[in-house]
Amino acid sequence: MSRFVITTTLAAGLALGAVGSAQAEDIKQVYDFYCAQCHGVNGDGKGVNVTADFATDPRNFTVGAEMAKRTDEDIKGVIKDGGPSISKSPLMPPWGATLSAAQVDGLLGYIRKFAK
Amino acid sequence: MRLLAVTVSLGAALLVMASAPSYAAGGDAIFKKSCASCHYTDGPAKEKTISDQLAKKGPELWYAGSKFKKDWLVAWLQDPKPIRPMKYNSLTDPNKGDHPKQSAGDAAATADFLMCLTSPEVKAGAVKPAESAPAKAIFTKKMPCGGCHEYATKGEKHGGKSGPSLVGASKRLNPDWIYAYLANIKVFKPVRDMPDFASVLNPKDLENVAAYVATFE
Ligand code: HEC
Ligand code: HEC
Ligand code: HEC
Repeated sequence: MSRFVITTTLAAGLALGAVGSAQAEDIKQVYDFYCAQCHGVNGDGKGVNVTADFATDPRNFTVGAEMAKRTDEDIKGVIKDGGPSISKSPLMPPWGATLSAAQVDGLLGYIRKFAK
Repeated sequence: MRLLAVTVSLGAALLVMASAPSYAAGGDAIFKKSCASCHYTDGPAKEKTISDQLAKKGPELWYAGSKFKKDWLVAWLQDPKPIRPMKYNSLTDPNKGDHPKQSAGDAAATADFLMCLTSPEVKAGAVKPAESAPAKAIFTKKMPCGGCHEYATKGEKHGGKSGPSLVGASKRLNPDWIYAYLANIKVFKPVRDMPDFASVLNPKDLENVAAYVATFE
């Protein structure tokens, strides 16, 4: 039994890995290109734009308790329409005209994974 | 026979020279030799993916004649101070300011060549540099322009570092180009880490912001 479980998990894992890694790599590239400049490559909110003048710290995606308060729809909405769409700082820009729906979905999954 | 060949090729060369656009002799040749390894000058925009953008060693220059002010260009090519606070395409390494320098003569010839590269997307004389309260509010508060771009107030620098610095934009950038860029960014930069603001700001706001950026010292 346990061997069966391990084998299937392994097989499923491999299958996922094969499909997933190509996508995961793409979405890492999307995140690093558009979002890391403020949220940091590691999602900690320490991007290169965050200088002394930056009035509101970009969300630290690694703080799981904060991120858990947000629904998937909230997060997708704020990515597309910017901070003011959920009464947050306009320093979070609107990306709706720049990113595809698939990229926004991918980013949602990607930033959820930073949460500890 | 040999004489004929020489005469024919000479004739052809003369013809080519006569029909070439009227930039100063040599600017395009200098560019091909010293600059084309990092900059492309044949539009429209070639980048389709993030990887295309990241593979570039320098900014595209196919609309340089619409974008830059000529006096700035001639001076900068001789003394190229950093424009982007960060190294091109990097969010971790600072710009070392190691751009190739040109002599005064080469810079003038190259600038003549670059100033001929224009985009029909840019309407001449549409935007006059002007400060306004709404534009200032957009730049510093409503839209995070200052979050990604350096700008100066009373000589003091503020703002983010991922975008090109806008300090001194009044001397460097053509106001009409700034407006065209904000209004139709995909024509110039199909792939870029600046958001498309044309669907968020109305044309009047875009024009005001462009006019405001065009005053930056
Ligand atoms: C110019 C800097 C900047 C960039 C670029 C940026 N963000 Fe943000 N982001 C912020 C700031 C600042 C906040 C915090 C807003 C607040 O708390 O008022 C934020 C908040 C968020 C939030 C949390 C909103 C909440 O529920 O609290 C999400 C999700 C987010 N950003 C996703 C992204 C994604 C995805 C990208 C890339 C497509 C991105 N951001 C690019 C600055 C930025
Ligand atoms: C090794 C690659 C490389 C070479 C060779 C090179 N450049 Fe550049 N060029 C760059 C980079 C990188 C930048 C961005 C510099 C900055 O932001 O400070 C740049 C910026 C520029 C700009 C300003 C563009 C903008 O959008 O801000 C002009 C104009 C320019 N180069 C012209 C030239 C000319 C003319 C030559 C040949 C004499 C040349 N470059 C050679 C890499 C190069
Ligand atoms: C999320 C970061 C970000 C935000 C927000 C942003 N920009 Fe940019 N901007 C950039 C980047 C990055 C570039 C360079 C794109 C490239 O050439 O690859 C750029 C380029 C520009 C340029 C051209 C500069 C040059 O020398 O090529 C202008 C002008 C400009 N932005 C104005 C604005 C204005 C006005 C706003 C607000 C309405 C704004 N930006 C908001 C990141 C940003």
